[in-house]
Amino acid sequence: MNFSACLNRFIFTTAAVTIVSLAEVGLAKGFPSGKAGFESHVKPFFQTHCVECHGPDKSKGKITVHSLDGDLAAGQELERWEHILDALEHGDMPPEEEDRPSAEDRAAMVKWIESGLRDYVKKASKVAVETTTRRLTNIEYQNTMRDLLGFELELIDDLPVDPDKPYHFNNTASFMMVGPDQLVRYKEAASKAMASAIVDPEKPKIHRTSAKWEHGKPGKGGLTRAEIGIYQGPGMGSKTVGLKSWPKTGEFKIRVKASGNIPAGFKEVPLRLVIGTSLRHDSGSGTYQEVGVIHLKNTPDKPKEFELRGRIENIPVQPSVTHRNKVLPPSITITAQNIFDNGELNDHRKSGFDASWSTEAPRVVLESLDFEAPVAEVWPPEHHTRILFESPLRKTNSGKYAYEVIKRFMTRAFRRPVARDEVDHFYRVYKIYDAEFDTLEQAMRETLAMVLISPQFLYHTVIDATAATRPYELASRLSYFLWGSMPDKELFELAASGKLSDPAIIASQTRRLLADDRAESFVKNFTTQWLSVTKAKTVNINRDLFPRFLYTVHLGERRGQEQLFRPTIRDYMIEETIGFVGELIKNNASVMNIVESDFAYLNEPLAVHYGVDGVYGLKHRPVRIKPEHRLGGLLTHGSVLVGNSTGSAPHTIYRAVWLREAILGDEVKPPPAEVPALADSAGDSAEESVTIKDLLALHRTKESCADCHVRLDPWGIPFERYSAIGKFQPMVPKDGTRVRGFSLKADKTLDGYNKYLKKIFNIEVDASARVPHGPMVDGMPELKRYLIKNRKKDIVKNVIRRLMTYGIGRELTYRDRFEVEKLLKQAKEDEYKLQDMIVSICQSPTFTGEKPKK
Amino acid sequence: MKQKSWHINRREFIKGGGVALALPLLNGMSWGKAAAGKALPKRMVVSYIAYGVYEPKNKDGSHHDWNWWPCKDAGPLTFNKSAAPFEPLKDSVSYIRGLEHAGGVGMGGHSSGDVFATGADMSVTEKTNNISVDQLAAKVNGHKTRYASLVLGTEGGTGSYGSAKTLSHYGPGRPIPSMHRPQEIFNRLFNPYAGKGIEQVRADLKREASVLDLMMDDSKRLKGRLGKEDQQKMEEYLDSIRALEKRVERTSQWTHQPLPNVDTKGLNLEVSHKEPEEYTRCMYDLLYLAFQTDSTRFATLMLESEQSSGSEMWNYANYVLGYKGATHDIAHKRPTESGKWDNWRAKQHAYFLERLKNTPEGDSNMLDQTVVVWGSAHPHASHSTKNYPIQVAGGNALGFKHGNLHSFEGKKKVPLSNLYVSMLNAVDAPTKQFADSTGEMKEIRA
Repeated sequence: MNFSACLNRFIFTTAAVTIVSLAEVGLAKGFPSGKAGFESHVKPFFQTHCVECHGPDKSKGKITVHSLDGDLAAGQELERWEHILDALEHGDMPPEEEDRPSAEDRAAMVKWIESGLRDYVKKASKVAVETTTRRLTNIEYQNTMRDLLGFELELIDDLPVDPDKPYHFNNTASFMMVGPDQLVRYKEAASKAMASAIVDPEKPKIHRTSAKWEHGKPGKGGLTRAEIGIYQGPGMGSKTVGLKSWPKTGEFKIRVKASGNIPAGFKEVPLRLVIGTSLRHDSGSGTYQEVGVIHLKNTPDKPKEFELRGRIENIPVQPSVTHRNKVLPPSITITAQNIFDNGELNDHRKSGFDASWSTEAPRVVLESLDFEAPVAEVWPPEHHTRILFESPLRKTNSGKYAYEVIKRFMTRAFRRPVARDEVDHFYRVYKIYDAEFDTLEQAMRETLAMVLISPQFLYHTVIDATAATRPYELASRLSYFLWGSMPDKELFELAASGKLSDPAIIASQTRRLLADDRAESFVKNFTTQWLSVTKAKTVNINRDLFPRFLYTVHLGERRGQEQLFRPTIRDYMIEETIGFVGELIKNNASVMNIVESDFAYLNEPLAVHYGVDGVYGLKHRPVRIKPEHRLGGLLTHGSVLVGNSTGSAPHTIYRAVWLREAILGDEVKPPPAEVPALADSAGDSAEESVTIKDLLALHRTKESCADCHVRLDPWGIPFERYSAIGKFQPMVPKDGTRVRGFSLKADKTLDGYNKYLKKIFNIEVDASARVPHGPMVDGMPELKRYLIKNRKKDIVKNVIRRLMTYGIGRELTYRDRFEVEKLLKQAKEDEYKLQDMIVSICQSPTFTGEKPKK
Repeated sequence: MKQKSWHINRREFIKGGGVALALPLLNGMSWGKAAAGKALPKRMVVSYIAYGVYEPKNKDGSHHDWNWWPCKDAGPLTFNKSAAPFEPLKDSVSYIRGLEHAGGVGMGGHSSGDVFATGADMSVTEKTNNISVDQLAAKVNGHKTRYASLVLGTEGGTGSYGSAKTLSHYGPGRPIPSMHRPQEIFNRLFNPYAGKGIEQVRADLKREASVLDLMMDDSKRLKGRLGKEDQQKMEEYLDSIRALEKRVERTSQWTHQPLPNVDTKGLNLEVSHKEPEEYTRCMYDLLYLAFQTDSTRFATLMLESEQSSGSEMWNYANYVLGYKGATHDIAHKRPTESGKWDNWRAKQHAYFLERLKNTPEGDSNMLDQTVVVWGSAHPHASHSTKNYPIQVAGGNALGFKHGNLHSFEGKKKVPLSNLYVSMLNAVDAPTKQFADSTGEMKEIRA
């Protein structure tokens, strides 16, 4: 018999349940710990309050208590005990409509379970711990290669996609598996990397392509030959240059001479260079790599030269195609784009090319573009001599030289000093290659590629915990936590000197690492996975209801679909969330800013979207906000609101799940099998039914649904005044209303359009709900107030647990509970400052792997 | 075997716009000629659709036009609107009602896709899943082709427990990452030497074998130095090295066989994920080509995963039908588009089956030599994990009998694994039991 089937059987226990207050049996006065207390007090408590739903007859939420034997010291069923402890502590259980134990009884129960757990954890420190050996995540792999080799290669696309689970981190040891297929890809990626890292001795031929455009008299469309307007054809304005030839590997540079033709009222114009296949806005085909963005402020009378660099290997090449019976050779195209965006582009578009807006908006003036590859100012390049270092040994004793090359490379690749037998091993591998290849370069490429598929490189390992390697493991832990990459020279040196485990050194290193650019990788990976925000990119926006939100293609096959090949408002929303968390870390601000803050992290299109004035340009920055903006914290971020919407309406359940998982740290179970869907319980089709709130009310009337939804939905309802596109929208149009886009003819100005919207948005949104075990909450401000006042501890604890989980690369268990409690206490002393919190985590024994000092 | 590259372009007109998609047909490469006197290949495909199917009922008791099931009662098939694309294939398809994997029942609809091809009891005893039906077949007969099996998906990778992006598993804790990029699949299938000469490939492989041997020694030594819990992780790695060694050996053997000469003309390998019909058909085409060149005989294709919110699949119902919600919502909200969505999926699958059927092989055609399962472990809107929608097609020459709707509801209930046992036996992988099976499914294959 499986659990979920039980869930659906509505069998009510016929056994008479005697309601006994535990105060009567003396529980409130405290009671014996261990097994004795279990028999005398815990068992009666379970009988009275729990067994009806979590016993032999029913097992709601797949939890039962009747079979627990109360012997925590034996280490049995501790996960289950922790689960019960959490439910009691949060006051989640027993549910509100049942007879509830007194606060005293509950506290006594909490105390009894906690002390049992604590005793066990203390005693059991010798018992097996969870797996921490895990392979590098794809992003760690790529970052490590970058820092090991000294240049940036895109390798992620060549590896199987990492596992991905909402609200979980993909560096979790138990998720990270290696199979033969994975290994094949690692081998290919390693060969590719080594082919680039070690060059051939003779200086290569330099490939060049140049183009010039005259910034003379404006042509028919009002633009000069050198100008790029914001619209040209179906997509954004751009100029292209096809490369005549290019090398297989190496660094490239692109030099442009450019300026901005910036009408009054504007401050800058962004020029973005991308490189790859030709980009077809009509059919949507094309792949590219961004080379860089230049925010142009200089005027056409003062053109400036700018230089951008990248790697040839990362460029997507258009493969050879047959066109009209002619075979076209492979090609690479550089596309220079004007990605100006003030959040209003949709308001200035008639069908086709709107010349007036194109000449009224800032234009890029691109007078010349020069491509050159490979960059060979120094030959061989630094990344080559880093491996095949200059030494007379190469001529005098080539074997010894090879041995030394391998040893140096391994030391960095393995992130620790290497043992003699390890080097000997790869020297043997080298000998096999050496026998067959003509040059040292060739043999070394193959040998070092094998180093890069060895487990010592691919895995985070803890090797028999000898004192000698331990400091290096800590160095790696720190760097993979805060950089997603290998340690740098300073960390290695500290590890070698034996000073790294000093808490003061850990603190200063943590802050140093966080201040480095490489920490961006941590902030991005941690934030996007913790908050599960990237799905905002794939929510299908209802363009009838929100005609202004996305920039669409206005002609051709993809008419009406979102424009491709440009950063969009949804990218900016995700950047907002990442950047916001980054700001909190950088400024060591209180973690409670995630609920409410006095700043938002915006660029111009986002500010326009949210209704904040005075923000110009595409770069995000902290912006002071006022209450009437109805922003602040993470809860109102577009990425959160869009990602947890249906694209047409707010999705109450998704938003509730998000709040509970990401902010409160609850684990929300997925809907069990055989529970009727929302639509089934409320009528035939959700489309035809009333609002989601009403629908949910109906859903909750079914017992099978109610069990979970009663504790879920109220958390999502206060978000209802924020629309599917993440805007504050207290009034909505009647169901089925079609909202037209901006019309120059009818509206004249944006204000005119807003008046139109106001007219049709005439139904008030109800956003009030009583939060479980809490008060009535109406809308976002009251929800935030409640969270800050009543749930601060849960929120801070959640962030600590998330950081810790990410930092150590495994799920936390009941063993880690008391360590988290300590960190929580420390956080309180530090006024919940986020950077301090990360420092404390890095110093904690769980993270360092040191045995706690008694 | 001499082959010409494709020079017949079959033009397929797809919806609206008059966009012509030119598809290649291999000419003069059919097994009928190439393998005269040899036993014909016996193949198996498991393919998966997600987020349930539409199963509405008419109030008057008649069968609904847009119900996924082609007809209401067990017996000879008739086709409603939803299943109409399969009507021309009537003698090659069967529908089977009332099947499921007991091991997936407790998992919830959004997770049960994990066990569709494995039947593992993931909620209780087999938490890390188990070997899938295609891999079991590949174990027995995979050596007969250049590739033991082909694992395709539309999102790629393995996913994680409870949200698989692949159907295939080597065994417990060993999911096989699915491939989802057409160009890459094509290269791995048909251009494995990346332009190198055969002699060099052989020399490389020989060297690689000795190096892997050394790697194995070193890794074993490392394993010995690890803590007990972590040794298991290292075993994963060692297994992978062992598998690589085998693969190297296998590849060397296959260097003595010529690679099929396959031309990409007309096949759009750069197709964007944003073009559902072109993309899906391209994946089916690659699978077809792999079979036609006898590069492999066992394949899985996860057309959709149950957790696609991070991928373009999430928007397919929108791209195809203009439906305003996510693909997922089409199951939960059951708008009128639900039936049309099923119909679209049916069209793509029927296209694949027809391509197989239109290719002669031996005395009949490729479809008769290929048994194809198409279905889902998340039948309908309610997150149900029971009564999967299951269609079985092809394999007529392998003993399958088609043209009927079978019902195993109520007292007649048998595990879905029984069908898999029949399939395994049909492809010469003699099997008495698979997962929770209780026997063969005699009704469909005697």
